[in-house]
Parts: sequence; C-alpha cells; structure tokens
Amino acid sequence: MTTETYQAPDSVSGLQTKGIGTAVLGLLLTGAGFAMAGLDRFYEAYLVAYVFWVGVSLGSLALLMVHHLSGGAWGVVIRRPLEAATRTLPLMAVLFLPIVAGMGHLYHWTHADAVAADPIMQAKEAYLNAPFFLARQVFYFACWIVMATLLNRWSAEQDRTGDPALAVKMARLSGGGLLVFGLTVTFAAVDWTMSVNPHWFSTIWGMLYMVGQGLSALAFVIAVLVMLSTVPPLDRVVNASHLHDLGKLLFAFLMLWAYLSFSQFIIIYSANLAEEIPHYLVRSAGGWQWVGWSLVLLHFALPYGLLLARDTKRNFNRLRVIAMWVVVIRLLDYYWHVAPEFHTTGLSVTLVDVALPIALGGIFVAVFAAQLKGRPLLPLQDPGLAKALTHHTH
Amino acid sequence: MAQQGHMQAGSTAVLDEPVLGPGQNYETITESVAQIPLSSRTPLGWVFGFLIGLGGLMMLQMAIGWLLLRGVGIWGNNVPVGWAFDIINFVWWIGIGHAGTLISAILLLFKQQWRMSISRFAEAMTIFAVACAALFPLLHTGRPWLAAYWLFPYPNTMGLWPQFRSPLIWDVFAVSTYATVSVVFWIVGLIPDLATMRDRAVSKVKKHVFGVLALGWRGSARHWHRYEVATLILAGLSTPLVLSVHTVVSFDFAVSVLPGWHATIFPPYFVAGAIYSGFAMVLTLAIPIRAAYGLEHLITMKHIDNMAKVMLATALIVGYGYVMEAFFAWYSAAPYERYMMFNRMTGPYGWTYWLLIFVNIGLVQLLWLRSVRYNTKLLFVLSLIFNVGMWLERFVIIVTSLHRDFLPSSWDMYYPTRWDFMMFFGTIGLFLTLFFLFIRFVPMIAMFEVRTLLPEAKVHVDHGPTGGH
Amino acid sequence: MHVHEEKTGLYGLMAEFDQAQPLVDAAVAVMGAGYSKVEAYSPFPIEELNDIIHRKRTILPKLVLGAGLTGMASGFALQYGTSVLAYPLNVGGRPLATWTAWVVPSYELTILFAALTAAVGMIALNGLPQPYHPVFNVERFDRASSDKFFLVVEAADPRFQKDETTRLLEGLGAKGVYDVAE
Repeated sequence: MTTETYQAPDSVSGLQTKGIGTAVLGLLLTGAGFAMAGLDRFYEAYLVAYVFWVGVSLGSLALLMVHHLSGGAWGVVIRRPLEAATRTLPLMAVLFLPIVAGMGHLYHWTHADAVAADPIMQAKEAYLNAPFFLARQVFYFACWIVMATLLNRWSAEQDRTGDPALAVKMARLSGGGLLVFGLTVTFAAVDWTMSVNPHWFSTIWGMLYMVGQGLSALAFVIAVLVMLSTVPPLDRVVNASHLHDLGKLLFAFLMLWAYLSFSQFIIIYSANLAEEIPHYLVRSAGGWQWVGWSLVLLHFALPYGLLLARDTKRNFNRLRVIAMWVVVIRLLDYYWHVAPEFHTTGLSVTLVDVALPIALGGIFVAVFAAQLKGRPLLPLQDPGLAKALTHHTH
Repeated sequence: MAQQGHMQAGSTAVLDEPVLGPGQNYETITESVAQIPLSSRTPLGWVFGFLIGLGGLMMLQMAIGWLLLRGVGIWGNNVPVGWAFDIINFVWWIGIGHAGTLISAILLLFKQQWRMSISRFAEAMTIFAVACAALFPLLHTGRPWLAAYWLFPYPNTMGLWPQFRSPLIWDVFAVSTYATVSVVFWIVGLIPDLATMRDRAVSKVKKHVFGVLALGWRGSARHWHRYEVATLILAGLSTPLVLSVHTVVSFDFAVSVLPGWHATIFPPYFVAGAIYSGFAMVLTLAIPIRAAYGLEHLITMKHIDNMAKVMLATALIVGYGYVMEAFFAWYSAAPYERYMMFNRMTGPYGWTYWLLIFVNIGLVQLLWLRSVRYNTKLLFVLSLIFNVGMWLERFVIIVTSLHRDFLPSSWDMYYPTRWDFMMFFGTIGLFLTLFFLFIRFVPMIAMFEVRTLLPEAKVHVDHGPTGGH
Repeated sequence: MHVHEEKTGLYGLMAEFDQAQPLVDAAVAVMGAGYSKVEAYSPFPIEELNDIIHRKRTILPKLVLGAGLTGMASGFALQYGTSVLAYPLNVGGRPLATWTAWVVPSYELTILFAALTAAVGMIALNGLPQPYHPVFNVERFDRASSDKFFLVVEAADPRFQKDETTRLLEGLGAKGVYDVAE
C-alpha cells in the first residue's frame, strides 16, 4: 500500500537539542532561585511543575486509548507524538522522587503531632498516611507504565507485521485501560494536590484532572504536529482538515475544562459550607483573585473566542500559537490549585516557580523528542491510515 | 500484498459495518418511511399500543383532576421528604430526553453517520419526555395557573420577581429553553420530509395538510445551503444546551447544603446518567419499532451496537460517580456526610441502593460482550432494566438524603401513595400516546438525510473546459 | 430582448436528471455557458451546488452571533433590573449583583435567542412560507423531493433562448426538458 517510512526530520533532533538547552537554563535558574528562596519554596514549585508536566504524559496516554477505541483521522496523525509522550512515563516516575523527599513540607498530614491535634486529619488517617501514600504512588505508576509499555510494544509490532489482531488487542486494552486510568488519576489528584490541604475535598477533582491532562496533551501534540507538518515527510500528509478536527477537539476540551471548573465553583460558592468555602476564600483575596480572573480570561475566554472561528482551526500558524498558549497557561491552573494553600495571606511568586517548569519542561521535551525520532512519524499499518491520508472536510 | 489485503478485509469487518442495509436506493428509502404515515391502513399492533397509552393518559387526567381538587396532600410527600416522586420523575424524564439531543446534535457535529436514521424519532422522544417532565414541577406548585409569576419574570402587581440566585429558577430557564429549542430543531429537521410527504400524498386532505406544513419547500440549492448552515448552528447550540440542562437539574440538588445532594461531581455525573437512561429508552423504542415496521435495513445492527456502547460508556461514568460519592463521603471526615452514606447503604432504604448498584454497576457490564449487544431481545429487556435502574438512582439520591434530617426528631419514612404511582404511570401513558401518534402521522426517519448515505449521493465537481470559474 | 416570452407566461426551462452527479455536471456547464438565473433542485443537500451556482455563503451565522450576544445581554440586564433595581433582597449576605449565579439564566437566553434566530432566519431568508412557485406547475417536479434531480434556467436570464437553452440542457444528459409555466 505504501512504501513511505515517514522517518523523523532533523527538526526533531533540533527539538531535542533545544530541550536540553532549556533544561540546562531552567536548572541554572532553579539553582539561583533555590539560593534565594530556600528548600520549602523549591518543593512547592516542584510539585506544581511536576503535576503540570506529568499531565502531558498522562493525558497522552488517555487520548491514545480513546483513539484506539474510536478510530478517526484525528488520532492517526497524532498517534506517534502521543505514544512518544507516554514513553516518558518511566522518567516521570523517577522525577516523582523529589516530591517524596519534600513530603514533610508539602503534606501537613505527614506530621504525627499535627494529626494528633486535628480530629479531621485523624479521621482520614487510614488514607492519608505516608506508607499508604507511597504504596499508592508505586501502584499508579505501575499501572500507567504497564499500559503505556504494552500499547507501545504492540504499536511497534503493528508497524512490522501489520497483523490486524493487534488493533483489536490495543482496543481491548484501551477499554479497560481507560477505566483504570480514570480511577488512578482521580486518586493521584487527591494525593498530589487535594491533600495539600487535608481538610478540603471536592468530588469533581478527579474529573477536573482528567480533562486538564487531556487538554495539556492535546495542545502539546497539536503544537508538535504543526511543527512536523512544515517539513518532509509530514508536509504532504497533514492538511487543514486534520487541523480542523484537532482544533474542534481542543475547543471541546477547553469548554469541558471551563464547565467543570465553573461547576465546582458555583456549587461551593452557593452552598457556602465551612468545610469547603475556605478553598475559594483564600483564592479570592490577597492578589490570588487576579490569578483566578486570569484563568477565566486567558485560560478560557481568549483561546475559546479565537477557536470559535472556523478559519482559526484550519490555519496552521494560528492553531500552533493557540496550542502553545494553552500548554503554557495550563501551568497557571495547577499553580492556582496548589500555591494559595502555602501562601494563604497573599500572592507570592519567586524565581523557582518559573524556573522549575522550564527545567522540567526542557527535560520532558528532550526525552520526548528522542522517543519521537525513534519510530516512523505515522503508524504505518494503522487500519485507518489510508483514510486518514485522504481525509478532507469542509 | 496478500497480508495487506487480509488486513484491509479484517479492518473493514471491525470498523466499517454498514449503517444502511444492502440494495437500497433513493426510492426504497423514501417508500419504506413515507408509506407508514401515508397508508390508510392502521396496523392492529398500533391500535393496541395506542390504546394502552390512551388508558395511561386517562389515568393521568384522573390523577391530575383529583390533585387539583384536593391539593398536593394526596401525594406521599411530607416533612422531611418534601420532594419525592414529583422530582424523581421530573429528573428521570428530562434525563431520557437527553439522548435525543445527543443523537441529533452532538453526533452531527462529530459527523457520525449512524445518527441519521435514528435522529428523528429520538428527537420526538426528547420532546415528549420533556413534556412529561415539565408536568411534575408545574403540578407540584399546587396551583399551576398561578405559577406564571413564580416561575417567569412577569411584572405582577405585587412587585415580586423570581429569585435569580436559586437553581430552581435556573431550571425554569434551562428547561423552557431546552423544550423550545428541541421543538424548533425537530420542526426544522422535518421540513424537507414534509415536502416529500406533500408530493407523495394521494388523499387530498393529506396533501393539503402536509402542503401547509412543508411551507412550500422546494429543495433548491440556495434552500439547502441555508438549511445546512442553520442545522449545523442549531446542533452547535444544542450541544452546550443539553449539557447545561442536566447540569442545572443537578444544581437543584448540589447547591444545597444537604449531605447526599451537595457534591461537586453532580453536574458531569448527572449528564452521563441522563445520556445513559436516554439511550436505554431509545433502544426500548427502536428495537420493537424496527421489527414491527420492517425497518431493519435503515436501523441496522450497527446502530443497536453503537447505542449499546454509548450506554456502557456513560454507565461507567455514572458508576465512577457512585464510587466518588462513597469515597468522598468517607474522605470528607464530616460526620453528616459519613452518616448519609452509611444510612444510604445500610438504612431502611438500603435495598434500593444495592439494587441500583447491581443494575448500574453490575448488570451493565454485560454490554462489554458483543454477543449481548447483538441480541436484540436481551438488549430490549436490559434497556428496560436500565431505565428502572436510573429511576432508582434518583429515588436513592432524593429520598435517602431527605428522610434523615439534620434533626433526628424529624426523621421519618417516605411511602408513595396510589396517586404518586398514578401520576408516574400516567405520564408513561402520555408519552406512549404521543409517541404512537408520532409514528402513525409523521415520517419517523429523516429520509433526506438517509439518502445522503447512498454511494450515488456523493458528487465531485469537475470544472470542465467550459467551466473554469 | 425576449419580451414576448413573458407574455407566453414561460417562467423557464426545467431539465430532469436521474442522479446527483449529472446534475452537478450540468450546473457547472450551464454556469460555464454564461447563464446567471439558474437554480438546482435535489432531494437532499448537495453543498457543492451552492458553490457552483450562487457562489456566496449565507449571512445566517452573523445574524445568529448577534442574536446570541443580544440574548446574553438581555439575561444580565433582566437579572440586574429585577434583583438590584426593582426588588433588592439580601440572601445569605451575598452581593445583590450575584453575577456568578446570573451566568446560568444568561447562558440559557443566549442559546434561546441564537437558536430561534437560526431557525426563523433560515426560513425567512429562504422566503418561506411560500405557497406558490412556478416550478410546482411541472408535474414531474413531485419527484424532486424523492429521487429526481432538476435544473431550472429562468426565462428572465439575459442569455435565455428557448431553443438554444433546450438543446444545451438536452445535450447535458437530461432525461427530459419541460416548460415551466409562470
């Protein structure tokens, strides 16, 4: 059917180099920031930066599984970037270690004396305790890495053999896998960011993370796809119709994110219960309210308004700029989730808050690019490939 | 190459099952749909079903009549369970309606061709379900003729206005917008098919009635262009609308301070539950109709299979919601939350909770099996059970949360009265009556859309030597 | 130029086709031959025909956007008017202008206004309801809503000449060419 091998162009190696450069720069800045602000600020910033970047890997895993179930041209063209992003998960597991080191500062419930003085934390002790927390992290990463490894292995096998049974196998794993993903991400979200304030809870939190991660991953791979589409071999493959579909998906994810965020807000705001309202009280004063308004305007209204127009979704450059903007602005959402809990008196930003996302981002992108160039840029034997190559819509 | 061919065949079997039976053309599609309302013969089965519906409708009239004479005291609602069957049935019916909009709007945006042959009657189902739903809150006001100024911002002599911070007033806006837009979308979708009916009707009366309703539709290129743009816009508007409706319904509960109602997961979990029960209802209707009217070539096994898959996916989200409710009731460490969940599981209504879990988390897993999804009889029975399951979900949420008040001296049990049951089964009668009238007098499949599925409907523009614009 | 044709009461010529593709090809050819008052009729939407014959997109999306924004503004205005100006009521210490709660009704009104405009706008721009139109005088046009495809060239077209136009249409594979009475 096709003799094309879709080898990665030099720009992917260029991306890898840029990633390494960014990582070095970020680490230098982190060092400077660390010297200025100390270890506690480092851990706080690290948690935000980590949750931000692991979201891209995890969101990619989820989108990949959705694609294996649903098919469609949109997924064929981004399948390889998604797969490459899921192959960063072992690295992400290692990068979790600083959070383990910082648990004492990040998670109030790790201190026995604090728990002894607080009946609410006592009531949650069966869940919020250090050994169980660590065991859960091992379990989550084991689930994610096993699923990612199997899907990547079968995908490589599909490239070689074209065995139709493999597509069915991947779809089967994805069905159950999405279920496992939903539950593990939910509890991971509780562990990582909700338990920063051990008193607060919100049942929508897990879904907010799933959608947020999907949004990050989608925006990230759209930016990568547009970069790849400017040079051979993908310049002949990716057309405005593919981008249009991906743009619509990005639009839908933005809407979903706003919907879930607003739902959580209006429910807690209206009920005004003492158990929950502190979450928004802290965030509506001391400068934090400007972070909230920025989320409304910059994370939702701006990209949403731009994506409303059909032409924006079909324009390579505009869509790339919007996608990159969404990747970046996602950081603000995670920052809003975590930082106010440590600085309840008011907004406080230091150099590490900016430096660490850059450093981790550089590492992530470098590893991602190295993974991406290892395989053909399109799944050569995907049952939907032929259809995807001739995909055209109005 | 041999392997390539093999792969193609294999993937075709998996991915590209037809959404249209073999050997169809424009005329067979049109005839098999249009002859149902145009025929002068009424099938006996239709008469039988219609009479059942009519019987239910009469029971409803009686229940409403007595209610208006005696007041809402004839229902089982009383302190502390002030909301019961009325709101359970309201949410159940509204939820059922959601599948119709999902099929006609969201699947249109996703260019899912399998929606075309089921969209018309799924939308009809939506409208009738919303009509049934709206009856309950309206009648629960006791004096529905006075409800105009309680519900709508009407400048009355007392200078009172609705309370816009209340989710109940949001509900009025959401449901009335939903009803209006659903009717409009449905009528717009009917116009080209009404023209077909006008052109094919033999009897003078039918020709005139369909002629007036078709508004003089000619199917010109300009007509179709505006029509397609309008349809896409309506789909684009209906999608966020349908999500907002059940979200607002969930706000009715979630913005309160009542344990068991106040949970941030409610909006997405209610929307998923609505779609789940709605698809169950579409299957309940589609499976017998396609058999009775011989429409298996238009509503194929692919449709049935896809609907079963959507049910499974949404049921899993609903199941996720149950797990979250239970986990966070514990994790909240709030004594009221924990007690609510403990009481829900082991209290006097515990059996309803476990029955609900058995249906919506247990039984629904059967849909993973292809053999179940392709067994229409079994699927029909399952779809009825899932509808009961979703009704139970609302019962559990509403009654078990209310019957244990914050003040233990107010604790009491809720028992529905015969009037509660008569109202509920009466609305099923209303729904059936409307639905049977619909399948007898309106083309129940969007003929013009299904025609576009034929291979000969695909055109390509070839600017010949005389063209070149 | 052809004044006499109006007296004969001829609206135009109608060519019938069996399939969609010949209709599209014929539309391309007729437009290529310089005709301007042309219309195609089909039993289902063929988006390409509008691009070939009319070459412009409808203004409906702009009307809908305007209506949606009007709906949103009316929603907020209504709630501000009733909750702040007409009957201010303190509920749980929340501000009178509770914009967070107002988002929901305003959102619904945005959709209501936009959707009604989309539907009514489509019908009005299409000139419906229109009980009479000359094309209905052709008996075969009954099939335009089932399985046949038609192309009409109006007599008012400056290039219209009955014999020549008939020949052109027949040469394009029409199964029949009929006179359309005024």
